Amino acid sequence: MDYSDDDDYNYDSDEIMDGTQDDASSVSEMDEDEDFHIQPTKDKKKSYEIDFDCLEQTAIQDIIRADSEQIISIFNVDASTASLLLRHMGWNKERLIEKYMDNPAQVLEAAGIPSQQPAGPSQPAPIRSNPSTRQATSTVIRRSTRRSTADSKAPVAPLTPVGCLICCDENPASMTSLMCGHNFCSECWAEYLKGKIRDEGECSIKCMAEDCSVLVPDAFIKETCDAAVYSRFEELVLRHFVAHTKNLKYCPAPSCVYTVSCTSAPPSSLTTVVPTVVCKKGHAFCFGCPIEGDHRPLICAVAKLWLQKCHDDSETANWIKSNTKECTKCQSTIEKNGGCNHMTCRKCKHEFCWVCMGPWSEHGTAWYNCNRFDEKSSSEARDTQSKSRISLERYLHYYNRWANHEQSAKLSVELYAKTEKKMEEMQITSSLTWIEVQFARKAVEEVERCRTTLKWTYAMAYYLDRSNAKELFEDNQRDLEKAVEDLSELLETPIDPENIPMLRQKMTDKTVYVQKRNEIMLEDTANGYLEGRWSWNTPVEGIERDEEPASSSA
Amino acid sequence: MNKSSSASALRRLMTEYKQLTEGGSPDDMFTAGPISESDFFTWEALISGPKDTPFEGGIFVAKLTFPSDYPLSPFKMKFEPPILHPNVYADGNVCISILHTPGDDPTHYEAASERWSPVQSVEKVILSVISMLAEPNLESGANIDCCKLYRDNKPEYERRVRAMVREQLGL
Repeated sequence: MDYSDDDDYNYDSDEIMDGTQDDASSVSEMDEDEDFHIQPTKDKKKSYEIDFDCLEQTAIQDIIRADSEQIISIFNVDASTASLLLRHMGWNKERLIEKYMDNPAQVLEAAGIPSQQPAGPSQPAPIRSNPSTRQATSTVIRRSTRRSTADSKAPVAPLTPVGCLICCDENPASMTSLMCGHNFCSECWAEYLKGKIRDEGECSIKCMAEDCSVLVPDAFIKETCDAAVYSRFEELVLRHFVAHTKNLKYCPAPSCVYTVSCTSAPPSSLTTVVPTVVCKKGHAFCFGCPIEGDHRPLICAVAKLWLQKCHDDSETANWIKSNTKECTKCQSTIEKNGGCNHMTCRKCKHEFCWVCMGPWSEHGTAWYNCNRFDEKSSSEARDTQSKSRISLERYLHYYNRWANHEQSAKLSVELYAKTEKKMEEMQITSSLTWIEVQFARKAVEEVERCRTTLKWTYAMAYYLDRSNAKELFEDNQRDLEKAVEDLSELLETPIDPENIPMLRQKMTDKTVYVQKRNEIMLEDTANGYLEGRWSWNTPVEGIERDEEPASSSA
Repeated sequence: MNKSSSASALRRLMTEYKQLTEGGSPDDMFTAGPISESDFFTWEALISGPKDTPFEGGIFVAKLTFPSDYPLSPFKMKFEPPILHPNVYADGNVCISILHTPGDDPTHYEAASERWSPVQSVEKVILSVISMLAEPNLESGANIDCCKLYRDNKPEYERRVRAMVREQLGL
């Protein structure tokens, strides 16, 4: 039996349960292929999957090394300079080469590298021409911002002329400087670099001297700091590289070290593809946007809209609209908390009727009793209110379901623990081995995955225009939800030693079915994007609106 | 913090103190020094209000608290008693870019070049504070009420500052 066969969607759980394979064969199949209902088969790519690679840190380091070696050979500079230049240009090699060929001195200066030939440390005097002019200009800027400081500078004696200006040690063991010639003792340098790298996480560190924009080269850091600090620095460079390279993304899971490389999800494709990638440790995240976790089947732009809607207080405004009325004259918001229907606006003193919103004067002698119907002025006022009330109800319908699945997904940690206990129990009460009871854990995993999908289908449904396509979408959603709830229920059922083989069979079948439904859901939505079947009821970034209504399938 | 860094902090503070007492401050705008011989990490500064500002004629007392990794980290400055100024918190703490490390920027308005660096000194910071007294920076206010007052009703701001100066002098 091939569980991952795509072509046959239409069987339901009963069919599988009726399947004729005996217990033993399904067990052996499970043992052979541990992941058979977790990972979709790799050889056949589903339409909702994208190509990506998961890289180790060393692989990234190799890319960086290759880049800097190229720069080193083209520009004839040392490794530190190449690294600073690349970081300055955001690792854009082509642009760096172009700019550098154009005007090397300017690029070097902008990157914080004095343009002179490298001179040994503690040789400050001759290499100052360039930095000193820069200092002169920046002093002018200082003067304008902090006038009294600069003016009063002259009469004050400078700090100790010899020795380290930072710690005031007059005879430090060794003094070093960058190419700008600002001399400080090695201990101060080490402390300073350590603070910058460890506490502030910076990889572009300026010289300690005031207003000096020369950057500390890598070699200097290696020489001055201990190994732990230097390796942290290398990691920061790595992160800088990944952050500036479009087809790379760091796995956002805490302390995960993998980087995902993906070239098949350029920003322009994000309106039709949800580029979900999985790192080698199994952390799923979206390559196209910073939303944590898997937000299939909803595309990034709409998912962002939804999260924004849930987070910001636009719904507060919606509540106000639904539960309050506006004074028809001055538009002040009024909540009626008691009293009769004869309202007098506290602000503009306008008198109106709370029931029909018409002016009170039209009520004549019918005091405290509004039996008038259909006055034009009042029906208009009522219309806007009921509209916003309907929109709030609609939002809450989808939000409650969304939040419910999110909540369940959060509780999955507990469910894991509970299931783990059950699995132990089953081992004791039946003859099954630990590997053979893994079906329960797999069911939990599948439920969690499907709840994530379901969660986002509700956000998607909120933004979908009414159409046949949406109805089909909702059918799929309902099927998936039903299947997930059934499986959840199975997971919650108490264990009866008699029934363990039955339960196992049922749960395994259900898990496969749920997985299938999830695939159908994702596949169908992904195809829908490609065919342009979905039309949104709100403007979406990157998607033109007012196209002809895309209607397909009956 | 380890011993060597607090030893170098002490050495640096002693040097700065020596230079301040020898050189004196320009135009005698301020004096600063440790409160007691036994604790070099807590200083007191007396600052005279700059001329042609509502602070003129006042003497303001500020406490400087140095961290043990000074000068890698900046010290803290607090007016005691607090003064009325847009860039001074109600409790007297001074909010000025030169006393912020590049990492922390509570107001996100400051360029890294204006921040603390180990080559700054007590003297430079206090001179900056004096110039701040004369020209408040409303973009990154610490005392928002005072910022509003300064912006909307400057005469009233100046009147209140003068009243505060008189009060602090005990007049």
